[in-house]
Amino acid sequence: MASASAIPLAPITTPERGSLLKRTAGLVPGILLLAAVGYGGKFIEHTISVYGKAHHLVLPNIEYVLWAILIGLVISNTVGVPAIFRSGVATYEFWLKTGIVLLGARFLLGDVQRLGGLSLVLIAIELALALTFMTYLGRAFKLKPKLVSLLAVGSSICGVSAIIAAQGAIDADEEDSSYAIAAILALGAVSLLVFPLIGHALHMSDRAYGLWTGLAVDNTAEATAAGALYSDAAGKVAVLAKTCRNATIGFVVLGYAIYWASKGQAEVVTNKAAFLWRKFPKFILGFLLISLLSTVGFFGKPQLLALGNLSRWAFLLTFAGVGLRTNLKELGKQGIKPFLVGAIGEVVIALITLGLVYGADHWYHL
Amino acid sequence: MSAPKSTRFLTLDTWAVLLALAAAVLVHFGILKNVPW
Repeated sequence: MASASAIPLAPITTPERGSLLKRTAGLVPGILLLAAVGYGGKFIEHTISVYGKAHHLVLPNIEYVLWAILIGLVISNTVGVPAIFRSGVATYEFWLKTGIVLLGARFLLGDVQRLGGLSLVLIAIELALALTFMTYLGRAFKLKPKLVSLLAVGSSICGVSAIIAAQGAIDADEEDSSYAIAAILALGAVSLLVFPLIGHALHMSDRAYGLWTGLAVDNTAEATAAGALYSDAAGKVAVLAKTCRNATIGFVVLGYAIYWASKGQAEVVTNKAAFLWRKFPKFILGFLLISLLSTVGFFGKPQLLALGNLSRWAFLLTFAGVGLRTNLKELGKQGIKPFLVGAIGEVVIALITLGLVYGADHWYHL
Repeated sequence: MSAPKSTRFLTLDTWAVLLALAAAVLVHFGILKNVPW
């Protein structure tokens, strides 16, 4: 993914720049930094808990997730991330996807079907409302039409990944894409702090909160973190709901591609099935496969625990990356209008999805 | 933020799935037994 807001793109995607071994070795320092920051967060959580117990104090239980993100934010916004670490830090999304696939072991396929089916219904409603609202909002603020499309896709489906997928399909400017990504990333950072507070204030159940986070928070990494900040169970549900939302990327991007092609401003999509397959996030298939294996009893109880813990380690690297890749100064340099449209849209989408989740909780007893 | 999108043969997603499946196989066959947290 490319973004104007953070660390420059790692060169590991360019085969001619060196052997696979050399490029892989180049990732090591950054991955070690992710591990150090993530483990630092875990260490702080543990230390506070031990200190509280030793001194008979009731200290707030702040999860390692928040500490890891905060440490990353401090590094990124003070000394910055040195070049040697950047390509490795950029792998945080790889760890996110690995963690999600492994998390599949903790879901029986029946749960996936039940909760995933419900999520898909809510997502369909959310998508229709959010895309329409964002389109009118962008027009009201007189933003460029393709920037409006990117913001709508980014805030209604899947943040950065969806914007990247849409950018190529609708032939949008690099600059528009950067604006949209910056707005989505900034709002994702805000949602990390705001969502858990609202969830606690409304006394939401783990399932209801997880579903809300999965439906409303844009980036998968931020949705996972916002869920995990509430509770482990909420984090699981957030990942499942967000994964369902990610599965719709292809369809929405295809819709926009056809729309812009009809206006002669994007390439015509000739093979729609191939287009959908190309845009479909393949890690979802891995998640379903592991969930299927778990359902048929391929793993014993201790093995499920081991896979769950492996997933947690992968997420720990992800959360460190969320902090390290967020450069508040760079985010501030982006135009105020796209940010404002994104912010208003996010608030409205959060309220719509909150209403949907409350409705689902009332009718289906989450 | 930029992440490595793909390599020459496999996408980032596919690598993530392969790594997770490899870990699952190691756990299943008892090669990776205890994973502390």
